[in-house]
Amino acid sequence: MKVENLRKRFGDEEVLKGISFDVMRGEVKAIMGPSGAGKSTLLKCIDLLVKPDEGRIWLEGVELTDPTVDVNKQRRKIGFVFQEFNLFHHLTAIENVMIGLRKVKKLPKDKARELAEKALLRVHIDESLWNKYPAQLSGGQKQRVAIARALAMEPSIMLYDEPTSALDPQLTGEVLQVIKELADSGMTSIIVTHEVGFALEVADELMIMVGGRIIERGRPAEVVYSPESESTKAFFRKVLRVEGTTR
Amino acid sequence: MNFWQDFLFKLVGGVTVTLKLLSITIPVSIILGIFIGVLRVYGGKIGVLIANFYVFIFRGFPLLVTMMIMFFGLADLGIMLEPFWAAATAIILCSSAYQSEYVKTAILSIEEGQSLAAKALGMSSFQEIVYIILPQAVRIALPGITNEILYMILYSSLAYVIGVSEIFSVAMTMNSIWFRPGEIFGTIALIYLLMTSVASFAFRKIEDKLRIPGFERIR
Repeated sequence: MKVENLRKRFGDEEVLKGISFDVMRGEVKAIMGPSGAGKSTLLKCIDLLVKPDEGRIWLEGVELTDPTVDVNKQRRKIGFVFQEFNLFHHLTAIENVMIGLRKVKKLPKDKARELAEKALLRVHIDESLWNKYPAQLSGGQKQRVAIARALAMEPSIMLYDEPTSALDPQLTGEVLQVIKELADSGMTSIIVTHEVGFALEVADELMIMVGGRIIERGRPAEVVYSPESESTKAFFRKVLRVEGTTR
Repeated sequence: MNFWQDFLFKLVGGVTVTLKLLSITIPVSIILGIFIGVLRVYGGKIGVLIANFYVFIFRGFPLLVTMMIMFFGLADLGIMLEPFWAAATAIILCSSAYQSEYVKTAILSIEEGQSLAAKALGMSSFQEIVYIILPQAVRIALPGITNEILYMILYSSLAYVIGVSEIFSVAMTMNSIWFRPGEIFGTIALIYLLMTSVASFAFRKIEDKLRIPGFERIR
C-alpha cells in the first residue's frame, strides 16, 4: 500500500496536512499521537469512508482514489476495525460475520457459514457465543467478533482504529492478543493505538502524528525511548505518566 | 322484518367492505410509508424534495378532503374512480405520509457507525439500506406504525362520505330507517373496538417475533 500526500479539511480546519507512507506486505505499522491529531481521519480516508480532498492511495497496484475505480469493490480488500465495534445490532455474532460473505461476496449460505466459523475461532470466539446478539456480548467479545467480520472477507490489509479505547482495561488484553496473533501470522496491518507497550511489541514501524502531520517515524523502540522531536517527547511524557499512575 | 335481523344482516355486508378496504390499505401504506421514509433520507436532492412535498401535501390535507378530491375532484378531470378505490387511495396517501415520518426518524436514530461498518465491508448503498439500516429502522418504527394502523381502522369510516357502504355507512342508513341510534352506534363502536384490539394484538405479536436483545422498547 502506498499513501501519497493525503490532505483533508473539515471546514476551516485542515485535519490531514499531507500524509505519505508505504506499507509493505506483512508489515505492521502503528500510529500514535495526541487526540485530535487526525489519526482516525487518516484511517477512514485510507478506506475512503471519508473522502480525502487531495492525495492518492494505491493498494496492490490499484489506485483507490481513481474516480473510475469501483470503491465498494476495493473496500473488500481492506478490513476495518472501529473503536466502537459497530457490530450490526440486529444480527447474531455469526450473522455479523456472514453478512459480508453472503451479500457482498455472494457466497452460498453453507460456505459463508463455514468461513465465518473459521474466522470466529481464529479470534477465540467459541461456539457458545455464535448465536448471541451484540447486546449480549462483552466489549472484548464484540471487538473480536468485529475483527472476525473484517477478517472473513480475506482482506489484504487490516486497519485498526483505536481498537481497545472503548474497552475496560481488563478486556483490552484479549483483543490485543488477537491482533498480535494476526500480525504474527503475516497480516499486513495499520494500528492506531494508545497502548505503548503493544506498539513496542507488535509494530515494525511506529509513526507519531501531531496536528495532521507525521512528525516522527522509525523503529518503535527508538521512537519511544529516544525521540528526536520535542512534540514526540512531550507526547510520551504525558502517555507514560498516565500509564505510570494507572498501572 | 325485525330490527336486529335487518341491522345485523346489513352489518355483515358493511364489515366485509371495511375489512376489504383495510386489507388493501394497511399493507400498501406500510410499504409505501417505508419507501417514502427511505427516500426522505437517502433520496438525493430530487428524491428528498419529492418525498418531502408528498408528505407536506398529504399530511397537510384532512383525510376527508383528500377523499373528496380523489372522488369528486378527479371526476371533474375526467378520472372516474369507484368510491371504494377513491377511498382506498386517499387512505393510503394520507397514512403512508404519516408512517414515513416514523420510518425517517427511526433511520436517523441509527448511529453512523452502522453505515460505516456496512461500507467498510464493501456493501453498496442499496445493500446497506436493505440489509443493515431498514431491518433496524423498521423495528424501531414499529410501535409508531402500529399506532397509525389503529388510526387507519377508525378513519376508514370516513369513506362513508363518498358512498362506500362500509360499517359506518350501514349504521347511518339503518339509523334513518329504524331510528335506534343507541343500539346501532353502540354496536358498531364495539366492532371498531374489536378490530383495533385484534390489530394491536397482532402487531404486538409481530413486535415480539422481531424482538432482538438491544432493541427492547418500553410499551
